[in-house]
Parts: sequence; C-alpha cells; structure tokens
Amino acid sequence: MNLKSFINILVIAIVTSISNTNLALAKDIKSIDAGDTEIEIRIFPASGNVLLLGFPCDEGKSIAEEKTARSLAGDGIEVWMPDMLSGFMLPKVRSSLSNITTEALTSLINEATKTGKKVYLIASGPDTELVLRGASNWESLKQNTSLSGAILMFPRLFKETPVPGKAPEYQDAVGKTKLPILLLEGERTPNRWGINSLSHELQKNGSPVISKIIPNVRGYFFKRQDANRSEDVVTSQMAGLIKVSLFYLQENNTHD
Amino acid sequence: MIKSLSLFTLLFCFTLNMQAANLKPFTANTATPPLKLTDLQGKTHDLKDYRGQVVLLQFWATYCGPCRKEMPSMNNMIKKMGDTPFTILAVDMGETEAEVKQFVKEVKPEFSILMDESGKSISDWQVFAAPSNFIIDPTGKIRYTLFGGVEWDSDEIINKLKELAPI
Repeated sequence: MNLKSFINILVIAIVTSISNTNLALAKDIKSIDAGDTEIEIRIFPASGNVLLLGFPCDEGKSIAEEKTARSLAGDGIEVWMPDMLSGFMLPKVRSSLSNITTEALTSLINEATKTGKKVYLIASGPDTELVLRGASNWESLKQNTSLSGAILMFPRLFKETPVPGKAPEYQDAVGKTKLPILLLEGERTPNRWGINSLSHELQKNGSPVISKIIPNVRGYFFKRQDANRSEDVVTSQMAGLIKVSLFYLQENNTHD
Repeated sequence: MIKSLSLFTLLFCFTLNMQAANLKPFTANTATPPLKLTDLQGKTHDLKDYRGQVVLLQFWATYCGPCRKEMPSMNNMIKKMGDTPFTILAVDMGETEAEVKQFVKEVKPEFSILMDESGKSISDWQVFAAPSNFIIDPTGKIRYTLFGGVEWDSDEIINKLKELAPI
C-alpha cells in the first residue's frame, strides 16, 4: 500500500467515523413518511409527558443541539430532531426553507402528537418560519389534538432587510397561528429592537406571545466560533433556558 | 463573444455593487420623528436645532462589525463636506456608556455619539437593523435612507449630500 492509498483510506475512515458519531449519540433514529419524501428523526426518548419537536435543519451537525437534547431527555422531556434538509436533499442555505413542504411539517407534527404527549415546537433563526407554517397548517386541518406552544429562538422572519424608517414586512407564515409563542432574543443584536413589532404581528391570529431578552449575548451565539464568556455560559445552560421557556408557555397556555 | 459576455457580467456586478451602496430616496409620507438625546459628554442634542444643515443620523452599535468598519470614512466625510453645513449624529442602540466609551477610545469617531439606553428613539425611527442611516435635509425632512456599511466619503455620496444644502 503506497502512502497515497493509505491517506485515502484514513480520510474515508475519519469521515465515516465522524458521520456515524451523530447517529451514535442519538438514542433512536426513526424514519417518517412525509408525503413525497422520508424524513429521518433523531429521537431522545424520555418518560415525561412533554415532547419538544425541533427543526434544527443542520443535518445533525450542531453539537450544542445534541448536548441540549440529551440533557432535556435526562430531565424527562422527549426531543425529536428531524433532518429536514437531508429529507429533501437540500443544501444548508436559507433559500432551502421554502422547498420544505408544509405537508412534511404537518406529517411530523402528526407523528409527534400520536405519542399522546404535549407537543411543543422549537426552532431558531430563519428556521422559525417552519414552525409557524407547520403549526398554522396543523390548526387549519382542525385536528383533535392541539399543539401546546412554540419556542422561537432568535427568530429571523423578515421578508427582506427592513428599510430604515418603515415598518418591516414579515414572512407569510407570521400571524397565522393561534399557538402560544415564546420569543427569545439576544441583547446584543439589533433584532432585539424588533421584538415588539414581531410580537404584535404574531398575535394577529390570537397567539399569546411572551418575549424574553437574554443579557450579554449576540444572535446565534450558540453557533458562533468566536463566542464570548457570557455566550459560552448560556450555551452550556441551553437546556435550562428551554425548560424555563416551557414553564412560561405552560403558565400562559390556554390550549390545555 | 465570450469577451463581451465577461465584460457585461463585470459591468452588471459592478452596477449591483454600486446600487447596494446607494442612498435610497425616502418615499414614505411620514413626518420626521423627534430626536432629543444626550451625548457622551452630557450635552443634549435636539434634531430641531440642526435645521439649516444636512444631517446624517445613524443608528449603530459596538457589536455591529460594519458600523466599526465605516466610522473612519465618516470622519473623512466631515472633511470632504467642506463648508457645507453638515452634522453627523450617531445614536448608539441601547448599550451602556462604559461599552460605548471603550469603543470610542479604540475607533475615535470625530462626531457626536448620542446615547439611548431606553431604545425610545430606535422605536420612534423604526430601526430594526444596524447600521441604519437617515439623511435629513436642511428643512428637517428625511430625504434618503441607507442600510448597511458603506464608504461614506465616496464622491457619489458627498455630491448627493451637497446637493441638499442651501445655495
């Protein structure tokens, strides 16, 4: 075996090992028929009556999300992390979101509600549009089971970058659901100043909306390579942050 | 043919780039919101007092990369505006005085930095991103807006602003 072949085999072994690590970390992998495609879900099972259905859309690459899911499952909150992008063979770019069908989102929600647990949805950044789109379609189908709420972390729901001095335009899914919503935003991002405007829009179809600002962190802090001390601390406590958010949603939930 | 296409592509990209850096005419039929804030030295600045001047009103933050990058060009802009009555008012978006003072020490802006820890002016002026800029003419009317970082000392911008000044 020459050096070039050895390096090739070594690279293949490392890549295989890395790609298998995500699967090994998850307790269970389930495939769901979602209309035109199959969606693979990493499931972190738990015995409690709460299920958190996330739309990370990161092909399972975020270590912070895996750790958070494990921690939540350890505290009795079941976590489902569907890999939407791979399901639709889409690249990890913002424009991919519009290619994820509403039917697929609804199928996932349907599957989650079959567990009989209280289902909460969660997403961050532009992925929050999927939560709102899925939830409003679920409600329009007049299902017997209601969703219990949604956590939108650092939502980025503008249609385009807002023009200074003008009210922003939001994605079509904004303001269509009745779902109780909790918004989380970092203190050190201009988006914190849009939180009141977004809350107002989200309430248009009857959603009760609570918003919380996390001190000393920027947007997407949990995905940053240059995270500062505050951001590292909050990232390590993400599970706690989500549990507090669920608590607020349960306190204000009129659906249950 | 390929040469012509390459030239066209180059020109197209250049045009797009220039458009991105352009001031956008402000078309909303709304009155100019009030603005009354204090600077880092404790002096109060009321936008009304700047009637007769062209004003660049900028909303920025220390954590905003483009804001930091463009400030030297804003210093140079003051020089390039020459005798034209012109002022820059840069409103920090809700940070503490300590954070802003540290930034000022590093970046050395040569214009007034106004503090708005409550965020009231940010709401009044409908600002949702940073940096957000407003160009106000000598009558107090908003004439242009611009979102994002830009080289403020470019001839294109300087000429547009000079056109707003009284002759």
